Amino acid sequence: MKNDNLKIAVYICHCGGNISDVIDVKRVSQELATYPNVVIGKEYAFMCSSTGQDMVIEDIVKSGINRVVIAACSPALHEATFRGALKRAGINQYLYEHVNIREQASWVHKKDKEGATLKAIALVKAAVEKMARQDELNTIKVPTTQRVAIIGGGIAGMRAAISSAAAGLDVVLIEKQSHLGGKLKRSSAIYPTNETAASVVETLEGLIELNAKIKVFCNAKISSISGFAGNFQINFEFDEAKTEKVEAGVIIIATGFDHYKPYEGEYAYGLSNRVVTLPVFIDIMGTSAEKKLIYDGKTINRIVFVHCVGSRQIDGIDNAQDNGKVNDYCSRVCCSSALFTINKLKDKYPDVDVMDIYSDMRSYGMEHETYYENASKKDILFLRRPLEERPTITPLPDGTFSVKTVDVLTWNEELELIADMIVLVTGMIPNEITDLLEYMKIPRSSDGFIQEVHPKLRPVESANKGIYIAGTALGPMDIIETLQASNTASSKAVALLSQPEIHMDPFVAVVEEDKCSGCGLCPQECSYEGALCMRETDVNGNVKMVASVNQALCVGCGACVAVCPTRAINVAGWTLDQFDAMVEAIAKG
Amino acid sequence: MSLKVDTGFIKKIKKYGAFDISACFNCGNCTAVCSLSKEDASFPRKMIRLAQIGAEAEISSSLEPWLCTYCGECSTTCPRQAYPGEFMMSLRRFLISKYDVTKISSFFYKFPFIQNILALLVFIVSLGAFISYHGDFAVLSQKIEVIFPFYISLALLSYIFIMYKRVIFDKYKKVLVSFKMKTILPTITQILKQIMFAGCTELDLWRGMAHVLVMSGYLLTLVISVFHILEPLTIHYNWLSLQSFLVFYSTGAIVLGGLSMMARRTIKKSPSSMFSHSSDWLFVLTIFLIGFSLLITHLANIVMGPQAHGVEMLYKINVAIEVAWILIIVPFTKWIHLFFRPIAIYLQHLKEERDLV
Repeated sequence: MKNDNLKIAVYICHCGGNISDVIDVKRVSQELATYPNVVIGKEYAFMCSSTGQDMVIEDIVKSGINRVVIAACSPALHEATFRGALKRAGINQYLYEHVNIREQASWVHKKDKEGATLKAIALVKAAVEKMARQDELNTIKVPTTQRVAIIGGGIAGMRAAISSAAAGLDVVLIEKQSHLGGKLKRSSAIYPTNETAASVVETLEGLIELNAKIKVFCNAKISSISGFAGNFQINFEFDEAKTEKVEAGVIIIATGFDHYKPYEGEYAYGLSNRVVTLPVFIDIMGTSAEKKLIYDGKTINRIVFVHCVGSRQIDGIDNAQDNGKVNDYCSRVCCSSALFTINKLKDKYPDVDVMDIYSDMRSYGMEHETYYENASKKDILFLRRPLEERPTITPLPDGTFSVKTVDVLTWNEELELIADMIVLVTGMIPNEITDLLEYMKIPRSSDGFIQEVHPKLRPVESANKGIYIAGTALGPMDIIETLQASNTASSKAVALLSQPEIHMDPFVAVVEEDKCSGCGLCPQECSYEGALCMRETDVNGNVKMVASVNQALCVGCGACVAVCPTRAINVAGWTLDQFDAMVEAIAKG
Repeated sequence: MSLKVDTGFIKKIKKYGAFDISACFNCGNCTAVCSLSKEDASFPRKMIRLAQIGAEAEISSSLEPWLCTYCGECSTTCPRQAYPGEFMMSLRRFLISKYDVTKISSFFYKFPFIQNILALLVFIVSLGAFISYHGDFAVLSQKIEVIFPFYISLALLSYIFIMYKRVIFDKYKKVLVSFKMKTILPTITQILKQIMFAGCTELDLWRGMAHVLVMSGYLLTLVISVFHILEPLTIHYNWLSLQSFLVFYSTGAIVLGGLSMMARRTIKKSPSSMFSHSSDWLFVLTIFLIGFSLLITHLANIVMGPQAHGVEMLYKINVAIEVAWILIIVPFTKWIHLFFRPIAIYLQHLKEERDLV
């Protein structure tokens, strides 16, 4: 196909030597230079460098190039770079094709230079054929609702609400319980500031009450969530029987965590009242009398703390959880929390002997190491067990417990401790939010917490655009980290809603209405609710049922394209005609 | 069989001096720098861990504390400021109190002021008795000095008996001895090394010198008294006599070494002198006074002659201090470690020999 209007430029990048050491780049560029519709064929050491980009811009401006193909690294690295160059040169940025001849040719065919070169030629030719059939495309613009809906009124949700409102957004805070504050609505002290949890919650509550931009709904139960980035709808009931529908541009999930609850018999849990979990023990200590620790009618002189209960479990050693898996993750905050509590305990009751069985002491936070140091100076006996060993706890007839544990620090000898009370340092588990995740179509990670897209490149972002995650819904973290994640989520919300419209890539399904027979096969194939439906439309004076795409909801997967008998539906930028030409080009070589 | 943990034991050990040992988290830096640590890398941290978990029986039958020469490298290297060197010293004090069937050592360590008062009382009572004695003091002093070695030997033998029982008999349920060169030789080498203070001097020259001075001076004083080399109340010595030479060396060494030790304990610069138990002060001060009073007595003898009233008084003071020293101080403090290190080395080899079989 020869088209006089087409002026395609092809550039082959050496990528230092990553490509040119294997592929004969000169041969590729020369062969492509004579290919139909190609007017420029060049090779260069680093196309991504400013010199390389300037070369492209100059060719566009001076030689009237209107399609660009660059064969280089993965498009994940530099596709956006070169689209930017096209934009700066004044032409449509989607008239660009990025061919990956590094990962897909030079790196994988190191020993077959000839084969790699031929493969590169075929791939670049296919790209040229694709570009010969490429139309100008424009980003999709969707108007946004300037409101953030936050699910969960614990400290993560409260912080996100205040930060989002501070940026001028309306906020709706939806909480399932009758009060804000979540797990921090308690009188115990929290590290590192040593203030009571309740006082922190009260301060935030005060800020929320004063803020007219934040609307709080308590006792709420969400019944449905629909829509897309910039335009979500949330339906929920609140305060018994009242219903509400909220429109929001962004959703922040701040549903928090749950404490691991040991099963009966796990480290003697449930066999005696004096086997308690750490959160329960913190509450006991908060209300116990001065001087003597008396609990369950017994004066407590010796306490054994057992770390990693419900965390860092091992398949085959620990019982599987409800989801059929063991909790093999580290809950991270429990070590510091236990050490902080032990220090409090020793300050209040210096005569109580404390023994602490751990596997690895992970007091990772800023200054958390001092909790360990202070505890060890207060005569706490630390016992390190091998990761795969479990202490056995047996209640004795006299009301005490015999705790047997293998101690690495005593050359893997088995030691026997006698204790009056056992504190199980329990970890964090995901909250039960299956319905919510299903409404929003958000996947969990293997640990059961919500999965973020990429912890470094796209932190707190869910797989669904416009939905962010704050706090322990993401995984175990302490209050400080929770607040950091909250502020990250709210700043992402602010960034997304900072413009009245959201811009999205144009690679979505497009229907040629005159070709559409109205058979209705494609909506059945679509996995994205609301993205594709059949609608009565006037086509050139002929009213008929045709497929209709909601561009904001379509992800461009192409499932509809595969079932269309009349080739009426295509993904923009990836049309069937383009695929046909590419396959043909590759077949010819 | 699992070891029973006793969290109260560490508090007990701290009474003997090791106040910071709970801070130890078993990193092993002490073991890495210690010249005594072997392939199993257990010295000295095994002792620390045993104390932390409260394995009193294991510690009571251990020999390791006696092998430590307290160079202080471990304490300097310890990242937790747990002072393992001082801990080992505390274990030596603890072991003495375990070997002592009378339990007087343990009592003195826990209530050091009583030991101080008793030493002072014994000194005053003896001096009073000597002053009111109207017979020939030269004869009496000879008789007293003959008793000293018997008294010390009795105490020492009882300690060694208990030590042997705990370390060997209780473990193997039989009496073991060995005359193999492999076992005897290191013991003799240790005695010689100890006399020359090899092993600690290379690290701290001042400490080594002070040790050599005090010990050589004191041993010579013992020889002088046990063999009646000196008779300050009957013979008039001149500056250049052989006896004068011996006395000047022994007392001079004690005075210099004693002053030096006191200075070190005051300055507290090196790990071995950083922490002073009350008994350490009592020991250094008393040995200094023994040397000093003998020196003055001898000088008075040379200048004024044996019959002068002052000479007899000075000599009585000297002997009275010695009585307090022998009765109250020597058997009940770690001074006795001098004898235990070679014995510990012998028993260690005995155990190794036996364990091979």
